[in-house]
Amino acid sequence: MTLLELEGVRKSYEDEDVLRGVSFAMDRQDVEVIVGPSGSGKSTLLRCVNRLTEIDDGAIYLDGEEIHGIDENDLRRRVGMVFQDFNLFAHRTARGNVTLGLTAVLGLSKPEAVERADDYLDRVGLADQADSYPAELSGGQKQRVGIARALAMDPELILFDEPTSALDPELIGEVLGVMRDLAEGGTTMLCVTHEMGFARSAASTLTFLDDGRVVERGPPEQLFENPREDRTRSFLGQLTDLER
Amino acid sequence: MGLALTGTAALGVCDWAATTGNPPLQTGDWAFVVGNWEVLLLGTLVTVLLTATSLALGFLAGFPAGTVEVYGTGRLRDAVSTAGVLLRGTPVVVLIVLFFFGLPIPRLLTLPVLDVRLDVFLAATLALGFRSAAYQSQVFRGAIQSIDEGQLAAARSVGMTQRQAIRHVVFPQAVRRSIPGFQNEFTIVLKDTSVAFAIGLAELLTRAENLYLQPGRDTAIMEVILAISAIYFVLTFTTNRTIDYLGDAYAIPGGDE
Ligand SMILES: Nc1ncnc2c1ncn2[C@@H]1O[C@H](COP(=O)(O)OP(=O)(O)O)[C@@H](O)[C@H]1O
Ligand SMILES: [Mg+2]
Repeated sequence: MTLLELEGVRKSYEDEDVLRGVSFAMDRQDVEVIVGPSGSGKSTLLRCVNRLTEIDDGAIYLDGEEIHGIDENDLRRRVGMVFQDFNLFAHRTARGNVTLGLTAVLGLSKPEAVERADDYLDRVGLADQADSYPAELSGGQKQRVGIARALAMDPELILFDEPTSALDPELIGEVLGVMRDLAEGGTTMLCVTHEMGFARSAASTLTFLDDGRVVERGPPEQLFENPREDRTRSFLGQLTDLER
Repeated sequence: MGLALTGTAALGVCDWAATTGNPPLQTGDWAFVVGNWEVLLLGTLVTVLLTATSLALGFLAGFPAGTVEVYGTGRLRDAVSTAGVLLRGTPVVVLIVLFFFGLPIPRLLTLPVLDVRLDVFLAATLALGFRSAAYQSQVFRGAIQSIDEGQLAAARSVGMTQRQAIRHVVFPQAVRRSIPGFQNEFTIVLKDTSVAFAIGLAELLTRAENLYLQPGRDTAIMEVILAISAIYFVLTFTTNRTIDYLGDAYAIPGGDE
């Protein structure tokens, strides 16, 4: 069943057309991976889906409803986001990062929020770090807190914007591990990532975005083994070479 | 004209220049200072009280003003930033005289013990308080702007409103970051309470002047001034150390990101 659908989405900044008519749809429990060169509009695309950025033209449907007809805060409660730079609340512990949305937005009582936060921190392997502050955590731990914070809101869809790009190589695995668990558990995920191993093994669909357009989209094996477009072949080829 | 009611205090400085024929720092003059400890204590109390009311007004007006300068729009924001520019651009003595003679503050009661006219005290509080607000607003504005935008985006992304995000995410961090600026402001306000002598408020400097302006007491000018300098220093020093301590106690573990 279709959960998210984009229809001819366009976005420009001043004279720069960042998204030039992007359309695709994904089902519940899909893991959609988007790849593309720097500046191709990937972050902008994700931000349009939770309305951190407003589109200029086109339409975006969440569960059949155009998102501009939904209150933006309700929309964001239903669509979680995980950031490249983590963006943890620096003045709150790992637990406090997770509970804030639960109490302020969902209206849970403090004990309920703490119980739920600890549950999600446990799922991302951070039960023992619940009382640590962001500055006391490694990058990989911070990002797992970021994931727990998004997950705890029980969203229908989670957006990941290059969640491992700011991490030292030895810390990437622990974050990808959590993302794999989520994918296997049926979480609907829209991920911008250049981790090709993850794309190959976890993605239900791979989309190659270049210059604000979807160049090619399909099952990951097809794009890796048998791409229709030369641009897709050379871009994915470069990424795969880098990983060796 | 109206300035006459400040008594001889404001004119005392000139007399001093004309009469300094005496060797400074005599033992008898120290005894005079010590003997008048009650006068200096009352002056100190007025100074502390005026510092507290001015800083409180400065905070109550300055914190919202700084917030408006960052998040506000249109006329409100323009009005706030213009008021700030005007207040910061005017000498504090001018402000205090302007507030005292310019505002229709009715003559109120005189506080017992401290022997301070409430209307004079009020004018001084308004002048020092709004001037401080104009500076505190800049401290808070800078602190708010220093909080990384990503955290605001993250707060919005779990569905918080802009207000909630500012309240729960931006303010708690901005307040911590404004402590050094606030300490600076505290020190300035404490010392600037002394300009209230221009409208005859019986704070520390005014009372000190009244001591050595007594007939035959001009030999004690240096001693009195050194004594109140020491009092100002002790007040700023101890309060700053206390704020340092509180700042450390409430610091974010592991440091700021
Ligand atoms: N808020 C903004 N204002 C102006 N230009 C922007 C803004 N956000 C993104 N852009 C521009 O849009 C283009 C695409 O950016 P982005 O979506 O971040 O790309 P990607 O995530 O694929 O690297 C870039 O050229 C960037 O400079
Ligand atoms: Mg990006």
